[in-house]
Amino acid sequence: MRVVKESLLTRIEGSASINLQIEGGKVIDAKVCVHDYRGIEKVLIGRPYMDALVINPRVCGICGHAHLRATVEAIEDALKVKHTKKAKIIRDITNISEILQNHVKWFYLYLMPDFVTKKKELSPFYEPFKGVKWRKAIEFSNLFVTMNALFSGQWPHSSYMVPGGVTCHVDEHTLIRAAEILNKAKSYICILDEDIENFKDLCFEFGLENIGNSYTHFLANCKVCYEEKQDTVKPDLIEERDDYSFQSKNPLAYSWALTVRYMGLPYQVGPIARAVKQKDRKVMSLFKVYKDSFMVRVLARLYEIHSLIEKLDQLLIQLEIHLNKPSWLRGKVKDLSGVGYALVEAARGTLLHKVWIKKGTIRDYKIITPSAWNLGPRCKNYIGVAEKAMLSAKDEWSAQLILRSFDVCSVCTTH
Amino acid sequence: MKLLWYQALTCCGNTHSFLSLEKSLWVLDEYDVIFHPAFSISHVLDDTLKDILKGSLSLDVLVLEGALDGRHRETFKLLAERSKCIVAVGNCAVYGNIPALKNKEVCGVLYRFKERSNVIEDENKVINLTGCPANPEWICGTLMAVRKDMNLKLDQYRRPLIYYSDFVHWGCMRNEYFEWKVEAKGFGSKVGCLFYLQGCRGPMTHASCNRYLWNGVNSKTRAGTPCFGCTELDFPREGLFETKTYMGIPVDLPIGVSKRAYILMSGIAKTFTPERLKDEGS
Repeated sequence: MRVVKESLLTRIEGSASINLQIEGGKVIDAKVCVHDYRGIEKVLIGRPYMDALVINPRVCGICGHAHLRATVEAIEDALKVKHTKKAKIIRDITNISEILQNHVKWFYLYLMPDFVTKKKELSPFYEPFKGVKWRKAIEFSNLFVTMNALFSGQWPHSSYMVPGGVTCHVDEHTLIRAAEILNKAKSYICILDEDIENFKDLCFEFGLENIGNSYTHFLANCKVCYEEKQDTVKPDLIEERDDYSFQSKNPLAYSWALTVRYMGLPYQVGPIARAVKQKDRKVMSLFKVYKDSFMVRVLARLYEIHSLIEKLDQLLIQLEIHLNKPSWLRGKVKDLSGVGYALVEAARGTLLHKVWIKKGTIRDYKIITPSAWNLGPRCKNYIGVAEKAMLSAKDEWSAQLILRSFDVCSVCTTH
Repeated sequence: MKLLWYQALTCCGNTHSFLSLEKSLWVLDEYDVIFHPAFSISHVLDDTLKDILKGSLSLDVLVLEGALDGRHRETFKLLAERSKCIVAVGNCAVYGNIPALKNKEVCGVLYRFKERSNVIEDENKVINLTGCPANPEWICGTLMAVRKDMNLKLDQYRRPLIYYSDFVHWGCMRNEYFEWKVEAKGFGSKVGCLFYLQGCRGPMTHASCNRYLWNGVNSKTRAGTPCFGCTELDFPREGLFETKTYMGIPVDLPIGVSKRAYILMSGIAKTFTPERLKDEGS
């Protein structure tokens, strides 16, 4: 008998629900529905281009900084302005610290409580509000928030990146504070490692190591995290479709999100995509056995915490070398018109911003978020990335977990 | 005390602002949190609503994050009727903010920008915490003050005076440059005031960002970014990085300063600017 289950999710960014069709102990169809739509791109049209630096971070409360970076770098690309090397280092630091606070909160606050519902012994550790680890996670993630604010002025919703560089002045004291915070953060790693082991055990206990697989076309633009010299993603090949979006007139539409395709195909983005593209040793050894299963997708995100903390260490050393260089340079802008784009790695994957500027005014703006790649609805030819992953679930509980492994951000998906 | 956190059209920025101070844990301990969409294990909102309709449950504090559209308005009203106190957190919940710019249906609890929206009738139980997002200290502090039954004095927009009677300008490290009319030449420097060219709204914006620092460490103006006036009802204005001038005088002057006083003071300040302020390199 076919059962249809519609459930509204908690512990995600914003509001989303899933519609599952379950038959014979197997999910045979899954739809991800994202509800709220704010129309941020429309707000930008007709405004001076600098306004985008204030409006765009407001797309998302947890990855607004990535939106700021994509905005400023798209504007720089459009107006042919270069930023200083020191600014690049500082932008990397704040970009990465935002990703880190996200991963920590997501794992402890959004994912682990699902296991509490199945296994009561876990509640002293992972239960919302009371759990020891739940509370520790807030301290841990806030270290990265503080690191970010040290340079960006505030988190969430800073606008400290401007064409040509960053607005902040950095001196030896800033460096010492940043090093102090990073040092403190490292003292939490042993707790994290313990929980990574706990998580793996739970995966095997509940049979989650082999389910949740989706398309293994991965897309990542690793300039930020891994020093790739050039963009490897070609933005011209990215296409948005509204086949099943409320933004079209299709009566079968079920989500406010648009579908994103690369060369016509669905692609998976996020930490797992970054790890596979970089041939990360730890992730690849798991990937060979389990592919992009629920377990591997989660572990890729957790292992990224390790590699990004190491990266922060290197960045602080680089910053020390460039300490007396300028944070910002006034670019020589010949003409305040142009079209530009930027690809940034945000916590959930590749983020694209594209801007059309004419005489200093925004003519058009396009934002394609990582969550649109992973959580967007189906198109005529392929079902969505997260939707496909859920097809291997046995029940509602495991389907929800699989969806969560994409780190659901509905506010970004629709914006 | 029973608290329910409701999210409408939002970026979730106020939830993350709130969490960004460790004292948020203490605040959560002090309340009986019935539901928070980002923290609760499951979606008990529908059950809560049923209980409220039956009359078997009432709320002490209802927190609203995000702007209200048709979909959220009705649910929010039901919850609001059964709540003793409503705390609207962030500019979306208070004024409608960005989601309301291109959609006339969208508004905050009492306002839609400068107009009244009157989603609920009894405005006396509303406390507004403006800001995009509201500073974590204000959210934690206000929720604790409500918990401890302190009777917070409010301004005309129902914002607690303890947090909104300051100007962002107060405590800004660039005050001396402001006094002597030394403008910032660009970005990335500690030198110069951002009011003259970069559009800083510090002297016109009611907020204590430079008294209660963001995330315990910093503020926009301390990081060299102009204040955009995100706690006021006209946020986001157009031309956020520009100081609009008429005949060389800023169109918007610090609150309470007349044009005549401004011109007179500027003349004197510019004539007697200490050399040390002019000479500092960038």
